[in-house]
Amino acid sequence: MYSRARAILLKHFLSRNQSDAWGNGVPIGAISSAIYVLFICLPILALLVKAFQQDNPLGALVSQPALLALRLSLVTSAVTIIVVLLVGTPFALFLARSRSPITRVVDQLVELPIILPPVVAGVAMLLAFGRQGILGPALAGLGISLPFTTAAVIFAQIFVAAPFYVRSAKLGFQAIPRAYEENSLTLGLSPWQTFRRLTLPLAAPAMLTGVALAWARALSEFGATIMFAGNLTGKTQTMPLAIMAAMETSLDTAIALSLMLLALALVVLVALAIITRDRWQAAP
Amino acid sequence: MTNQPDTRQDTSRLSSGWISYRVGQFSLAAQWEVEAGQLLTLFGPSGAGKTTLLRAIAGLVRPQEGSIRIGDRMVFDSASGLFVPPHRRRVGFLTQGHHLFPHLTVAGNIAYGLARATPDGRRVRVAELVEMFQLNGLEHRRPGEISGGQQQRAALARALAPSPELMLLDEPFSSLDIELRRTLRSELREKLRDAAIPAILVTHDIEEAISMADQVQIIDNGQVSAAGNPLQMLGQPGQGRVARLVGVENLIPMVVTSVQPQDGTMVCARQDGGSPPLEVPLSDVVQGDQVTVGIRASDIILADSEPRGSSARNRLPGVVSDVRLRPPGYQVTLDCGGLDLSCHITGTSLNEMGIRSGDSLWAVFKASSCFLVRD
Repeated sequence: MYSRARAILLKHFLSRNQSDAWGNGVPIGAISSAIYVLFICLPILALLVKAFQQDNPLGALVSQPALLALRLSLVTSAVTIIVVLLVGTPFALFLARSRSPITRVVDQLVELPIILPPVVAGVAMLLAFGRQGILGPALAGLGISLPFTTAAVIFAQIFVAAPFYVRSAKLGFQAIPRAYEENSLTLGLSPWQTFRRLTLPLAAPAMLTGVALAWARALSEFGATIMFAGNLTGKTQTMPLAIMAAMETSLDTAIALSLMLLALALVVLVALAIITRDRWQAAP
Repeated sequence: MTNQPDTRQDTSRLSSGWISYRVGQFSLAAQWEVEAGQLLTLFGPSGAGKTTLLRAIAGLVRPQEGSIRIGDRMVFDSASGLFVPPHRRRVGFLTQGHHLFPHLTVAGNIAYGLARATPDGRRVRVAELVEMFQLNGLEHRRPGEISGGQQQRAALARALAPSPELMLLDEPFSSLDIELRRTLRSELREKLRDAAIPAILVTHDIEEAISMADQVQIIDNGQVSAAGNPLQMLGQPGQGRVARLVGVENLIPMVVTSVQPQDGTMVCARQDGGSPPLEVPLSDVVQGDQVTVGIRASDIILADSEPRGSSARNRLPGVVSDVRLRPPGYQVTLDCGGLDLSCHITGTSLNEMGIRSGDSLWAVFKASSCFLVRD
């Protein structure tokens, strides 16, 4: 079954390749495309091949740690998305509207976690919220200890994932002409009604794109989590961490978990394609 | 601005006010008064402050000083600190790009401002406006799927749906072709009059100003430089700045040589005496004064021989020095002994008379077609 699929894929790929090469006279472009696509597809194909060589590829998921990791990942990433939506949406709107030079600096800083190595983020969060951190004594006074808790997992995810949402939502809000909102006001709708009935629906595709990207980033979070939250089964061990742990004991479990994450990534990819498709023709 | 008391029965729908607004180097001072069903046109070059004035009336900018009344409600008063936000002003604002909301259908756009109506009331009102603006069959289309004219009709319907007490029109037809512009213009004028809605129109299209307005204000550089009846204001502008703004084709510096009170006219000549004298309406100037005489190119008649038995006081022989296309007709320049007169004629006249450069013709126009322009 596998070899037939590969034959079909290869045939399709080669035929496309050929017509491009002769049709456009850019064989270099076609060759580099082939190298690129192979490079991306080969590892994923390898994962699929290995998984489907077993009788029940997802069988290993029934194991206790794998199930716990799956549940923890879904719960923490869901909480992350809710927090990011509630705090990130007004913030994105503010960034989109404000013209102050201070906002422009803040705007740049917001994207720092996208570039920052996640491990560094984990260390930084420990230094801020850890027992020895800046806020450590204050939190201890309130009887709160963040590191190595599920809350710490969510903290780490928010830190790395929120910028993806804020950035996308901000661009969405910026793309709405002010004249639309002014028209809505003169038509008798209050600023809040205008936001709900005009701004929100118009920015929705950008916001959903942001949600998809942020969710994907939260699900894949590893470095900051292991630094700040540790690797405790059922408590802080999310799927990427469980995969890492499983590699040492059971390769099957690691593959099964990887397959799950791959499937979730594909869901995000399809969702993005649907969201970003032109939903209405822009008014001239 | 009509001052007869009989036209003021419905004072509750009179909108008026004045503002003074400064931002950076720009300052704007204006005052206005429009009655129900009447249309005031603000005419002037871009950057003159016309749009800013409309935005201030709509509540989208807040002037430093002023007072604005819409119908029987005060919506802004700097003295008492009153500022009614835009969504409570009941003003319809139709802007340059029509800005239909792309995520809603035509019907959804028209119903947008009817948030407070009952579902039934909304349906009835939308159906009424769809009918009124000939949008039947397009209710469920999105703005991107209908033509420019239809979009503009839908935007008009949307602005009129909540029954505004004042309509603000900011060059609403500038993106449409001439034919469509004319049709929509008269449609809109009629509907505003029927609904007795006062309106303020911003434009720099003379034809639009003359065909739609009951009164015209000329705004230049943030100041109202003149106000009055549209034909008088734009057809025979009395001020040099306005005349140039409006584009009066013939502006001739002359000297008053004699005054004829019995005819209500006076005679002016060029200082160098090079061209024939003109007879113009009597004004409050005396013999020897320097004046600028304005004549609209469309008020001049061309004849191929000296017209005899004509009541027109001015008959000047000349030689055609230039003929050029000026849609919808042609502009012919006639050299009358050193005085260049621009005349507008139709293509048909041009062909019938076979006018060409070098032809000898007569320019004919009434004394009352001439007007004095003050600087």
